[in-house]
Amino acid sequence: MKDALERIPVPDEEPARERAHKVVLTAFAGREPVRRPSQARRVALGVGVAALAVALAVASPPGMAVVDRVREVVAVERTAPALFSLPAPGRLLVASDAGVWVVDADGRKRLLAGYREASWSPFGRFLVATGANELAALEPDGGVRWTLSRPGVRHARWGGTEVDTRIAYLSRSELRVVAGDGTGDRAVGHALAVAPAWRPGAGHVLTYVDRSNRVVTRDLVTGRVLWRVGGRGGVAALEWSGDGRRLNVRRGRRIDVLTRDGRAWTGLRAPDLAVVGSAIRPGSHAWAAALNERGRSEVLVVGEPGGRIFAGRGSVTDLAWSPDGRWLLIARPDADQWVLVRSDGGSIRSVSRIAQQFHSRSFPRLEGWCC
Amino acid sequence: MRGAQRGSVPDMEALFDEHWPRAHRAAYLVIQDAALAEDIAQESFLAAIRSLDRFDRRRPFGPWLHRIVVNRAIDAARARSLRRETELTEHATGAEEHEPPDRELLAALARVPPDQRAVIVLRHLLGYTPGEIARTLDLPRGTVNSRLRRGLDTMRGEL
Repeated sequence: MKDALERIPVPDEEPARERAHKVVLTAFAGREPVRRPSQARRVALGVGVAALAVALAVASPPGMAVVDRVREVVAVERTAPALFSLPAPGRLLVASDAGVWVVDADGRKRLLAGYREASWSPFGRFLVATGANELAALEPDGGVRWTLSRPGVRHARWGGTEVDTRIAYLSRSELRVVAGDGTGDRAVGHALAVAPAWRPGAGHVLTYVDRSNRVVTRDLVTGRVLWRVGGRGGVAALEWSGDGRRLNVRRGRRIDVLTRDGRAWTGLRAPDLAVVGSAIRPGSHAWAAALNERGRSEVLVVGEPGGRIFAGRGSVTDLAWSPDGRWLLIARPDADQWVLVRSDGGSIRSVSRIAQQFHSRSFPRLEGWCC
Repeated sequence: MRGAQRGSVPDMEALFDEHWPRAHRAAYLVIQDAALAEDIAQESFLAAIRSLDRFDRRRPFGPWLHRIVVNRAIDAARARSLRRETELTEHATGAEEHEPPDRELLAALARVPPDQRAVIVLRHLLGYTPGEIARTLDLPRGTVNSRLRRGLDTMRGEL
């Protein structure tokens, strides 16, 4: 019997081992050593522990848990009047009324005027920006590599490998794809106004929301639809994990986490809260969710290390993880503030007067923190 | 184990290399779904890492990990059968699935309820005694024996 069970081949055994090896060792390397919390940190950590049971319940594979209320406020340790530096390596992309800004780790900001949205290329060497009727591939210093004129351009996303990349974008309701060098622009189909998401890894596999509000994953090399799933509520955002094993689908009051082949894995349901932001932590399957309810807000991290890492008055919106996964940037438009929380809850700080710093009347939007 | 608790990446890698294959296989045999098995085994390793500092290093790592894997696989198998599928439609059929050649044994095992399947995997793949399985699954030993017997009877009938 033992020999027979040992002989049964496990499909995809070696690729699965390689993927797990990468994820497990990345998580292990990012693990913080056990230490006694300082007095100053006890409030924040105490709240984190209280929230942990909620977050772990959310993460359990059998199904979704329900988050139904906001509790304690986590105190910010210190507030800076300006963004003097980022706490981790990498560069931020920020969209404001003035245009798109590239923010270096040392706090230097560069305005790329005339663009409304932007996102990083897969390795952060370039960015793709959109104006009203223009798609542009840019250097981070603002140098223009190429542009493409199309009506109503938005939601551009750059994916692929180091040697072969594609950009997917919406032109009005048409989903289009162009090669990273600006050639071969073509229509893929029609889609709702949700940013498409490239599945990391080999090939060119794109996930988007079709006009019937279904999440569709299509291999663009063969043209074949790999899977499509429906669901209640409009989709607000799609995000693949870095290893291409998980897809987070954010809707108005829930987040569905799907496996690579589109099956439900876990998620978060918040019937009394608006789920306004989510972000997968780099190098892991942990993810953060931003929740608002009647003038209060909280941010949960589901996965390792999990827990509620922020709660406070006013709303939260965008979330962005630092490239090393150690810091989470939380946008608080009501407070005109960014909050930076260390992922283990051990440190929390904020930067005020964000709109002014980015020459904007409306609160700037976080577009990514990359490499 | 001691090295991994101190934060040694090579020691953690050695633990992974030693325990991943059986954990992955055990998850697959219980859940019978390649993608879910990978997820379960991977999440179990991550759960073990999260609890590494609290682990009593006088005890072996394998049974601790297998306990997490098998319990998660049972939960996932139960949830899969209970989960309303109305929201998930039009999955591609066989897009990334492979048919294992040893269909008979796998098919026979698939006819066994997940609770009994888990006991068979713990006993005959991982080599635990009924007493150890009872402690792993937090069950009376008599229940383990009856699940084992009923599961094997079902498999014999199928084979």
